Amino acid sequence: MRPLDWIVLAGALASMIAYGLYKGRGSNTVDKYLLAGKTMPWYAMALSIMATQASAITFLTTTGQGYADGMRFVQMYFGLPIAMVIVASTAVPIFHRANVYTAYEYLEQRFDSKTRALVSAIFMIQRGLAVGLSLAAPAIVLTAILGWPYRATTVLIAGLVMLYTVTGGVKALTWTDVQQMGVIFCGLLAALVTAVWLLPSHLSFFDAVSLAGAAGKLNAVDLHFDLQNRYNIWSGLIGGTFLALAYFGTDQSQVQRYLSGKSIAQSRLSLLFNALAKIPMQFVILFTGAMVFVFYLYQQPPLLFQPVELQRIAARNEYRPVAENYNRAFEERKLAADGFLAARRASDAALKRESLERYRRAQQEIDQARERGIQLARETSGDRNFSDTNYIFLAFVTRYMPAGIVGLILAVIFAATMSSIAAEFNSLATVSVIDIYRRHIRRQASDRHYLWASRAATAFWGCYAMIFAARYGQNLGTLVEAVNVVGSLFYGGMLGVFVLAFGFPRVRGTAAFTGVLAGEAAIFYASFYTSISFLWYNVLGCCVVVAVGLLLSVRRARIGTV
Amino acid sequence: MNQQAPARPMPDEPPPFLHSWRRVYIGVLAYLAVVVALFYLFTRAFAP
Repeated sequence: MRPLDWIVLAGALASMIAYGLYKGRGSNTVDKYLLAGKTMPWYAMALSIMATQASAITFLTTTGQGYADGMRFVQMYFGLPIAMVIVASTAVPIFHRANVYTAYEYLEQRFDSKTRALVSAIFMIQRGLAVGLSLAAPAIVLTAILGWPYRATTVLIAGLVMLYTVTGGVKALTWTDVQQMGVIFCGLLAALVTAVWLLPSHLSFFDAVSLAGAAGKLNAVDLHFDLQNRYNIWSGLIGGTFLALAYFGTDQSQVQRYLSGKSIAQSRLSLLFNALAKIPMQFVILFTGAMVFVFYLYQQPPLLFQPVELQRIAARNEYRPVAENYNRAFEERKLAADGFLAARRASDAALKRESLERYRRAQQEIDQARERGIQLARETSGDRNFSDTNYIFLAFVTRYMPAGIVGLILAVIFAATMSSIAAEFNSLATVSVIDIYRRHIRRQASDRHYLWASRAATAFWGCYAMIFAARYGQNLGTLVEAVNVVGSLFYGGMLGVFVLAFGFPRVRGTAAFTGVLAGEAAIFYASFYTSISFLWYNVLGCCVVVAVGLLLSVRRARIGTV
Repeated sequence: MNQQAPARPMPDEPPPFLHSWRRVYIGVLAYLAVVVALFYLFTRAFAP
């Protein structure tokens, strides 16, 4: 980090906090604190929804996945526009007209208090785990890359977010999200342009794309259906739709964003903007990872991108032969890449086939050597899930990017983290106060009392996230998958109960409540005893909830008619 | 503070373009189809 990077980073952070504090003034009633007095325009909600979803994990791991695994991860977002259309046409008008603070408050209007309490509890467990992970992910990486103490990093990030969310509520965080998305867009564009600009001068852009494609990194669509394969077009369109439906239709961290809208139309527009913008944004992030891969065809990458573990395995006797293999494979791959480009330019089909084969073989050798390095790190650290995917992009940024851009990219990581955890603190506080405290503990109190309870709950969840991240964060594996897997264990049940609520007017509370329990049991069974990919848990859980809810309702109707 | 706020009437305003929400939704789904088709062509064009 050079002085200009520190200036850019500090300037970006200071302006985010100041803007959040400024915009959050006047949040002096519960309605203003939790729903911004329903005054938000569509573009602010749209960018806030996008910022909330785009956590630091998105940037760190997704670029790493583009490098290591190619672009197939983009298929996970194919279901998002479908889900947005469904949510905009069903959930948005229903929630707005029900005049609720939380999605779960509506469940009591529709079913009963036990169903509301159960789903609120599921949300708090799931989101409570996720908020710790969302904070831990960037803290782990910043610790390793910048050498900052891990606990200090978690306290710094969470403390900055609490400054404006505790005082200004949803209005402060929504407008801060708008600014943070501006920083994120600028940083993304700068990262892609710089990654391409840093490519060797003898490579054209088309050469670079061809080399990435030949190594299998541009696999954006896979038509092959396989339940065990996480990312193909079918898991994306079906599993991704269910995941996005659950996230945007039932997760309070998202529902609260569009409940703050001026009108139904403004809330719908905010969701539909995301339907259009999210896939291209993920494509750009993954493509940046693929360009980093091409950069490292000519500039030798480290055996491991996690510098601390690399140092530790370098002290072992087994390291030397692995490193020698890796160096040899790198030189061979560089020659093979040049050979492939020469054959492509010569338009000689036989030569092109032969050079492609050599290039792919060399890539396999590099992958094997890296896998051996990762195995060594797993043995040395005792962490059998160790992966350095989250470090690939930042290792590239801090080592090769020019002064100023490094600070900007780090500001992106901070902005993305802050926008995600701010929404999580706020939504967890809202559910704690509205669905638990106001409903079950203190039923009659003044607006001022609930306002202060909301502020205290926001501070509580901030402190909880710090403690969780500090205590457990460093033992987690690939974090983006951890967050998605945790989400998928609970989202199916939550989605199912809202499908029953919106689509089946005859289903009553007890049937819905039992359906949720059965759905969750089915998901946990699938998770522990089958190898079905986690994206399908949402489909399974939702279907079981709906089936059980309908069966119990039919049975009840039959008993009633006898 | 009221425990349960009453449901409130909210008019279903038309979208600022394409005249009806139904058309907007069809537009979004058509956009998805185009994006997936373009990504498929991209994958095929640079497949090893």
